[in-house]
Amino acid sequence: MADKKPLQIRYFAILREQSGVSGEQIESTASTPSELYDELSNKYAFTLPPKMIGVAVNDKFADMSTPLNENDVIVFIPPVAGG
Amino acid sequence: MSDSFEIYSSEIDCAALSDALQHDSAGGFVSFEGWVRDHNEGHAVSALEYEVFHDLALSEGKKVIKEALDKFGIVNARAVHREGRLHIGECAVWIGVVAAHRGEAFTACRYIIDELKHRLPIWKKEHYLHREAEWVNCQHCHNHAKTSRLEADEFYGRQMILPQIGAQGQEKLKNASILVIGAGGLGSTALLGLAGAGIGTIGIADYDTISPSNLHRQILYSAENLGEDKATLAKRRLEGLNPMIDIRTYSEKVTADNIQDLFTDYDIILDCTDNFTAKYLINDAAHFYNKPLIQSSIYQFEGQILTLDPNDKDTGCLRCLFPQIPEPGMVGDCATAGVLGTVPMLFGTLQANQAIKKILGIETGSSFLTFDLITLQSQPLTLPRNPSCPLCGLAPHLASVEPNLEIIIPTKDDQAAKSLKNNYTLIDVREGAELQINTVEDAFHMPLSAFDMNTLKAPKDKELLVICEHGVRSLAAARALRKAGWEKAYSLAGGLHAVPCLRVSKDEDIPA
Repeated sequence: MADKKPLQIRYFAILREQSGVSGEQIESTASTPSELYDELSNKYAFTLPPKMIGVAVNDKFADMSTPLNENDVIVFIPPVAGG
Repeated sequence: MSDSFEIYSSEIDCAALSDALQHDSAGGFVSFEGWVRDHNEGHAVSALEYEVFHDLALSEGKKVIKEALDKFGIVNARAVHREGRLHIGECAVWIGVVAAHRGEAFTACRYIIDELKHRLPIWKKEHYLHREAEWVNCQHCHNHAKTSRLEADEFYGRQMILPQIGAQGQEKLKNASILVIGAGGLGSTALLGLAGAGIGTIGIADYDTISPSNLHRQILYSAENLGEDKATLAKRRLEGLNPMIDIRTYSEKVTADNIQDLFTDYDIILDCTDNFTAKYLINDAAHFYNKPLIQSSIYQFEGQILTLDPNDKDTGCLRCLFPQIPEPGMVGDCATAGVLGTVPMLFGTLQANQAIKKILGIETGSSFLTFDLITLQSQPLTLPRNPSCPLCGLAPHLASVEPNLEIIIPTKDDQAAKSLKNNYTLIDVREGAELQINTVEDAFHMPLSAFDMNTLKAPKDKELLVICEHGVRSLAAARALRKAGWEKAYSLAGGLHAVPCLRVSKDEDIPA
């Protein structure tokens, strides 16, 4: 089992609503954004499937399978369409 | 009964015309009289002669009156224009409108005179006291009268002081052309920003009309404009702001069939639409037709803006971020999620700002930005190309824009709507509870929640038309049917909300 590492997370739009916070610092064993999203989906009951989510790691858009390192800043962005 | 629009060659009897409009259901009467005045653009005028291209003027004039009747729900309207020689003080044009209330009477009267001035093929020969007489086209003179008061250097003076603009930059803006798709919340401020900056050619594509729920954020429009065509009105507003630029309107829905033609004349595209179908179509078209695109979307108090350029191999597109179009209902739109007016106003302004910088050759900054207007936290992000993007990745599998899936019925064309069942097999995908209120004649019922294509008997080459309340669920169903092999599956654009004449009300009482 991997060690827990500190991660900084930010949420936007419907994810912010469903989590109730715009950002948080957590300790997680997740090794990729995909694992992290699954973990958070369980915690907050996110309704959007991971394939519909954009993710950025340290201010750059990344793949859901990018390896995560200690103190990474992860931003989850759902698509929005209003205008 | 007299015609709604006439050309008189002798004096207009205004009192008789007013009397003829008397109507028991009318609570208000508004009239306008245009008189011959004794000067024009600094020259003393002694008389005027109007020459009219009769057939066209009569048909166009009647069209204007009909439009006013349809748009504003007034009781009646009539207009008369003079031809021949008129002396100072004589009435050249008379318009009368009767309506239940004063509001729509004023609005309709204003609409009629503005449209007549713009559209009628009428020329006027001005006889001056101190120089030769001159022919002027009234349409031209309408525009000319506005611009002659403006000097470009004065108008743009404050921005030309900026070191990034100057006379050279202003010339670049003048030579630029930008297409704005969607003249709603985002489009309103984007258009004002572009017109104010002096973008020489601006295209406005919007097929919608103004409804009360638009007004809190769509600041191009006023309460008196309810029911009017957005693109036409936006053009009129922007011409009022800056008469020195060329504004073109497209009052049709942007689809796979017309998007390439629409893009042709423009350097940059602004996506100010409010739905995923349009956003993905525009994103894909920008890639295939090689146009820089600035796209924005909002959600409650937040917004996103994406600046992309297919010529720049370092920036990604919407599909690099979200490869597939989201399923309907997964993410809220303005109607379901709510929106504060200032949010799209801000993001539309940002879109105009990005476009202006791009034209001037100024750094456009992060390709993606999200901004939360509650916490005031913004998050600029770099969006590189995603190697697995289905559109611009290493092995793309999209070869063209998604074919048009929608059938569009023009507003109020009940005949076209009712003939649909002769040409298509109709499938109503609304839920059972919705059908308690009304149904669609001759339609199969297959609610989206239990959509099972295996039970569909229609042959694969049959033309299918899927229907729901607002055209969102039906679009998803049509897309699924296409994927499963029904190549002629379509969705009714806007749903029954847009084509209400397809509804058949349930006569029997609904059990409590």
